[in-house]
Amino acid sequence: MGEHGRLERLVADVRQGWIPAAVYSDREVFEQEVECVFGRAWVYLAHESEIPEPGDYVVRRVVHDSFIVVRDEHGVVRVLANVCRHRGMQVCRAERGNASHFRCPYHGWTYRNTGHLVGVPFHEDAYGGEREFPKAEFGLLSPPRVASYNGLIFVSLDPNAPALQDYLGGFRYYLDFYTRQSPVGLEVHGPQRWRVRANWKIGAENFCGDTYHTPYTHQSIAEIGLFAEHRPGKRKEGVVYFADRGGGTTYKLAPGSFEERLRSVGYPDEMVERMAQTWSPEQRALVAEAGFIVSAATLFPNLSFVHNWPRVREGGPPVPFISLRLWQPVSAGETEVYSWFAVDRLAPEEFKRDSYRSYLLSFGTSGMFEQDDVENWTSITAVAAGRWSSQIRLHSRMGLSREGRLLRQPMDGWPGPGRAFQGFGEYNQRALLEVWCDYMQGAREEARV
Amino acid sequence: MRAAPADERLERVGSGEADYHAVVDFLHREAELLDERRWREWLALLAEDVTYEMPVRATGARSLETSVLPDMDHFREDHFTLRKRVERLETEYAWTEDPPSRTRHVVTNVRVFRSPSGELVARSYLLLFRSRGDTRDPEWVCAERTDRLRRTEEGLKLVWRRVVVDESVLRTQNLAIFL
Ligand code: FES
Ligand SMILES: [Fe+2]
Repeated sequence: MGEHGRLERLVADVRQGWIPAAVYSDREVFEQEVECVFGRAWVYLAHESEIPEPGDYVVRRVVHDSFIVVRDEHGVVRVLANVCRHRGMQVCRAERGNASHFRCPYHGWTYRNTGHLVGVPFHEDAYGGEREFPKAEFGLLSPPRVASYNGLIFVSLDPNAPALQDYLGGFRYYLDFYTRQSPVGLEVHGPQRWRVRANWKIGAENFCGDTYHTPYTHQSIAEIGLFAEHRPGKRKEGVVYFADRGGGTTYKLAPGSFEERLRSVGYPDEMVERMAQTWSPEQRALVAEAGFIVSAATLFPNLSFVHNWPRVREGGPPVPFISLRLWQPVSAGETEVYSWFAVDRLAPEEFKRDSYRSYLLSFGTSGMFEQDDVENWTSITAVAAGRWSSQIRLHSRMGLSREGRLLRQPMDGWPGPGRAFQGFGEYNQRALLEVWCDYMQGAREEARV
Repeated sequence: MRAAPADERLERVGSGEADYHAVVDFLHREAELLDERRWREWLALLAEDVTYEMPVRATGARSLETSVLPDMDHFREDHFTLRKRVERLETEYAWTEDPPSRTRHVVTNVRVFRSPSGELVARSYLLLFRSRGDTRDPEWVCAERTDRLRRTEEGLKLVWRRVVVDESVLRTQNLAIFL
């Protein structure tokens, strides 16, 4: 029958919200993802604030492809393939640092941090000098496409990928709530990195729309009084939105003005003022008129965001934090999680300190939310690897009737782009996997509704 | 803010001295409490003003000096946040520790110092073995710990702990445990 037919059937099921468990464990599915998803989508690598000074670099991956993200001596951010043009040795084996040059340990070719090849031992004797071997032709390669938005650096390995702005599409409206709370934008710290025996998509789906798990998976957090307000039905009042290639969840805020509402989750006045000045009228309307605030989100394929506001001292006020995270695939059954703490660069120092505490308590390696999330994901992945269990079609149809009609209509008058629903439903998980299906079938074109 | 022991003159305490044995007993006792999940008793070993930190390691070029990230930690706790973590483990909904891990905190290579303020400083190696369920591979965390211990009427109390882990990418599902 051929693997192709099998994959087509699997994708057809996924489009109906019936998810064959093999999607989370199958090696061929994974190989196709490496090719069609990670080989074609825009993939997040780093934030510009991680490399503030000339020569600063971090090494990041797109699955198995290693890249150096470096600020060169002129202050220009570059992405260089971490592959010596001679025989393929990695020219940089550190994860981060500062360097004016990268010297290959094998035969000593030396590259400036712009990528230019500037040193070849015995250039004349071994290669016949510039005439036979012009060094300018052998600089470190760059991936086909590099672009950034609000300091977030993305690459695409597909020369024909749409422009990043178009790829982000309507999701940019939501992205700004996390990454542009002032004209200056974020400072990003970390990452914490750890490996979990889970398929990369499970986290991506969860962050993009799973409001239904919160009251149960995270019940321990509520019980210990980490939140000022806790009601099991609270998440049900939230809206989930999806626009182009990304979607996320929100919380409903108590009545009040823009200022009062942002203050209620713990933002100091000066930050609220900057948000008011930085966000567009349509963006302000999400808080001021509709009365919602963003929580978790995912941009296809594997970049997620969190925004939440636990308390960090006994009986204290809520303190909001932002985290960026990457679900970096290692194999079908294993993911390396990169989790960063992010905060607006103009925030008061005291806020930054408390916000960092708030992050560490909730997310990342020791985060009390994350601990129980990952427990679900590793367990699902283990189940999905069973020969028989992998064929079970998991149910991702919440919000649909038996025949597949929407049980609830999209929100009217939602101020942001895309489609928004109030209440529980797996609208976003389905929408994210629709994008996945399109990429898996090589059919992802522009313009999606 | 970091009371790094390198900042002050420390006097080495020999392995024959009573202070040395008091510290080793403290560390063994603590390991026992953690492995037996007797967290309330463990909390009682911590001073009210305790600082408990575990910075993230990263691979830098050439030297280990820069391998400890200055601005990111796995833990940076005080008494309140440690207490919250314990309270959470005591609920019925701490799924990631239900069923619980079977752990061994193996503490070795203990070196003890006296600080000018009279506190004791202990450096030790920690090899944490964590086994969970019946199908997964066991997980390991290896680290060096530096502890600052205060003498009180109830015995030694932990005032400050810094855990410097050896892996830059942790191979354990989470840190729903204490080190
Ligand atoms: S492989 Fe890099 S110089 Fe030969
Ligand atoms: Fe969660």
